Amino acid sequence: MDNVKKWRTPVLIVFLLLGILISVQFHAQQIFRSDLSLQSTDDLTLILKGLQDKRTNLEKELQNLEQQQQALNNDTTNGASLVNNLTKESNQLKIALGLIPVKGPGVTVTIPPGSSIVYLDLIDIVNELWASQAEAISINDQRVTAWTIIYWNKEKMTITVNGADVTFPCTIKAIGNPDTLESGLQLLGGVLDNLAVYKIYPTVQQSSELNLPGSSPPVFHYLQPVPAAQ
Amino acid sequence: MWLPILGLLLGIGIGSTLAIPIPGIFAKYLSVALLAALDSVFGGLKSIIEDKFDGAVLLTGFFTNALLAALLAFLGDRLGVDLYMAAVFVFGVRIFQNLATIRREMLANWMQKRRLSAQGANKDG
Repeated sequence: MDNVKKWRTPVLIVFLLLGILISVQFHAQQIFRSDLSLQSTDDLTLILKGLQDKRTNLEKELQNLEQQQQALNNDTTNGASLVNNLTKESNQLKIALGLIPVKGPGVTVTIPPGSSIVYLDLIDIVNELWASQAEAISINDQRVTAWTIIYWNKEKMTITVNGADVTFPCTIKAIGNPDTLESGLQLLGGVLDNLAVYKIYPTVQQSSELNLPGSSPPVFHYLQPVPAAQ
Repeated sequence: MWLPILGLLLGIGIGSTLAIPIPGIFAKYLSVALLAALDSVFGGLKSIIEDKFDGAVLLTGFFTNALLAALLAFLGDRLGVDLYMAAVFVFGVRIFQNLATIRREMLANWMQKRRLSAQGANKDG
């Protein structure tokens, strides 16, 4: 018991100090380890190599991702150009079918009121215009399309185009080369000459810009495309 | 008996709460000082077991050994002599020697106690 009392205090002091010293040294060592300037050259080389590897990998990844991005961009561009082409094609088809309003240079044929005109004369004029390379024709703002009907309505005693009465003065607009169109109409022994026999004198006027309306689209119930023969 | 261990834990606690910042260059000298301190502690334990303990010797040894070791290592660095290595070597050897002595003494004590108890048991029986 006396023995223990003798060594207790000094040993306690020494152990206390040792504990402090150990923990301080431990902390210092932690900092020392993380300090690059105090690392050995071998360790630094290893760290450098590791970081370089990492960097190379990341660069590779970056390259991959950039390639992916490029591919995706190309896809998008292709898709956009495809859509563009399809839109253009669809527009051209619509123009060809006369579904959308169009404008361009051409001639206006005006048939004055009181003319003893029959529906066949109108058809003659339209045919002559088509023959003179007209690209679009309308009669009194009724667009002439593939399914246009021009006939004599007996009950109403009027000429109808697409079911609409033709009122006078009747204007027939045609888009195309104005000179070609007019010369086609004025041909000797042509359609206007024939009408002159019946004392009908339509006027022909060239215009640099004419606006033609579009017609409503046709409704198909029975039509089906035939697959192209191989 | 448990007081020294309590003191050690308390010291570690104080040291980590204070977290005294040591510049990287001094960490080396501190490590030598720590080694010297460890040597003193084991020397003290050995002397307790050998029943030759002197508190003054332990305390003076603890401080002077630690300070001198650090100072010598520092001086060695200034002079271009690796006294640091010498300190590590000497204290390392001494620590192992002290540990070996402590182990042998404890073993001897234990064996003696067992023999005594065995004899006592024989007497009782």
